[in-house]
Amino acid sequence: MLSDYFKAKTLLDKYHIKSIESKYVTKAEEAVKFAGGDAIVLKVISEKQLHKSKAGLVKLNLQGANEIKPAYKELEAKAKKITPYKIIAQKMARKGIEAILGGREDPQFGKLILMGLGGIYVEAFKDFALRTCPITKYDALEMLDQLRSKDVITYNGKSTAMITTLLLNVSKLLKENPSIKELDLNPVILREDGYEVVDIRVLE
Amino acid sequence: MTRDLTPLFKPKNVAIIGASADPEKVGHIILLNYINEGYSGKIYLVNKNPAEILGMKPYKSVLDIKERLDCVVIAIPAPAVPEVLEECGKAKAKSVVLISGGFAEIGNVDLQSQISAIAKKYNIVLVGPNCLGIMDPRSRVNTLFLPAYKLSKPKIGSVSFVAQSGAVGSVILDLIEGEGFGLSKFISYGNAADVDETDIMEYLMNDDETKVIVMYIEGIKRGKAFLELARKITKVKPVIILKAGRTAAGATAALSHTAALAGSYEAHEAVFRQFGFTIANDLVDLLFYAKIFESERAPKGNRIAIITNGGGAGVLTTDAISSSKYLKLAELSEETKATLSKTMPPLVNLRNPLDLAGDAGDKRYHDALYPIINDPNIDMIIVIILFQTPGADSKLAAEVIELKETIEKPMVIISVGTQYTEMHKIMMESSGLPVYDSPRSAAMSLEALLRYYQYKNHKD
Repeated sequence: MLSDYFKAKTLLDKYHIKSIESKYVTKAEEAVKFAGGDAIVLKVISEKQLHKSKAGLVKLNLQGANEIKPAYKELEAKAKKITPYKIIAQKMARKGIEAILGGREDPQFGKLILMGLGGIYVEAFKDFALRTCPITKYDALEMLDQLRSKDVITYNGKSTAMITTLLLNVSKLLKENPSIKELDLNPVILREDGYEVVDIRVLE
Repeated sequence: MTRDLTPLFKPKNVAIIGASADPEKVGHIILLNYINEGYSGKIYLVNKNPAEILGMKPYKSVLDIKERLDCVVIAIPAPAVPEVLEECGKAKAKSVVLISGGFAEIGNVDLQSQISAIAKKYNIVLVGPNCLGIMDPRSRVNTLFLPAYKLSKPKIGSVSFVAQSGAVGSVILDLIEGEGFGLSKFISYGNAADVDETDIMEYLMNDDETKVIVMYIEGIKRGKAFLELARKITKVKPVIILKAGRTAAGATAALSHTAALAGSYEAHEAVFRQFGFTIANDLVDLLFYAKIFESERAPKGNRIAIITNGGGAGVLTTDAISSSKYLKLAELSEETKATLSKTMPPLVNLRNPLDLAGDAGDKRYHDALYPIINDPNIDMIIVIILFQTPGADSKLAAEVIELKETIEKPMVIISVGTQYTEMHKIMMESSGLPVYDSPRSAAMSLEALLRYYQYKNHKD
């Protein structure tokens, strides 16, 4: 079963995994207020449609009331066909490299942790590294080393330490929460000096 | 719990149930193996038919044998197995090799469960069913029912092979003979009704006769136990593994990207990588890796020197090194260059790869290798010898064999060719120098060696 977005977000907070500022909204005005002048994203969350982007349930980079309001109306109209649903407003992430971090429960080996090139590249390049939990720092570095996209993801090594810490935190989260069957943090926007988890999916 | 497999590999005596006078029968071939290999323990034959077999009188049942049995080999039709296995249990036999097929592999799951239960009840160490069983050239145990003329027999050595599948196992055994290294133990364990891959690995981890473990598996029976062992085993000795089933359909109803990407094969591979196993992609890779690990030299770093008597081969090898993200071409030290400038003819360019030219013989190779062996900028050495060239002959092969004794750095040979080359390849390999027939296989093997020792020596 898909966990509630904010329950999942709170879990990430507990493990010092930074996710982007978000809020459920039930009216277009609420979304405008949440934006407070920043660009935002609106997404429909429904268990009936897990591939949000493909289904046109995501509106990116909405700036100001005259962009936010019509986008909200459009999503709401689509969402009514897949009730129950919720609409979430998120601050627009700054540009960076899209990575995926995730995990799943394996019947043989227990919790696995995954990291790879994320976003729309996940399926196309299948560039990922996988380990059993818990991982060590050595394992985290080896995971990065295994990726063809290593240099892009680590900004030529400049953000290696940050990503290593992130991996260790995700491993800890997976290990300490046995009820999690599958976890997707995708995309995680990586920058040279920071990162944000933009989408969270936890299946229990 | 560690299972003691010693009675399987080093039995003081053996009983063969299903021993037969009929040369077509598996029980006959196995008996012949024991006799022909020169097994020195006592052999008992068991058959309900009292007729003599090769001059020996069979017992009706293992219960009639007075001595306690170390190992019982069973080669009779599947339906009759539970009864004789019970008898083995009552006779307090320590181990059983159950050759017979006709169990879980054809859907007879219940019959196999019976076997597992009986083995457990009497605390018998049981290998099989549906397997080739055991070969140990030191104790001259051989339960493989393969006609001797069809495959070459491996020499005594330190590489142990574990193969779930009997057919793959026999191919590997045959191929080893073409390589320079020898066999410590071979075990084909089939359906694993009792002893499984984790039990076998644990035994081999503690086996002094085994330096390298090579495995072909189709699955892992006890994931958690395997994980526990995986953490330990590669800190003790290298494990090379080939897992079949890469293309098997992954999790069907994956809801997340993670589950869609990381199926069962990927999970196995993740475990192997994480714990420093060397992953092979086909049977030939198993042999490449086995021979470099058997030579037991640990690299201090990733810098490689190439010495060649053919320019083209040097370039191809440079390409193979460059395409590995872990290996690097070494820079020759100034001292090495100074020494070489005195000993090399003017046509030799003092750089890496060092092309000694087609007329190079044992003397020039010696003069080139000597400074390179001692060069602190060089961690591993590839010596290319194209025996088709005028200068390369048996004296050259003897020279590198002699040099090998004096160095601690890993050194491999690349030689490609037919009869004349093959002869020298055997000379060099049987002296413990790994010989490869392509730059790619040499580079792959050096990379695997480097990666294993990086894993083994890392501190976390």
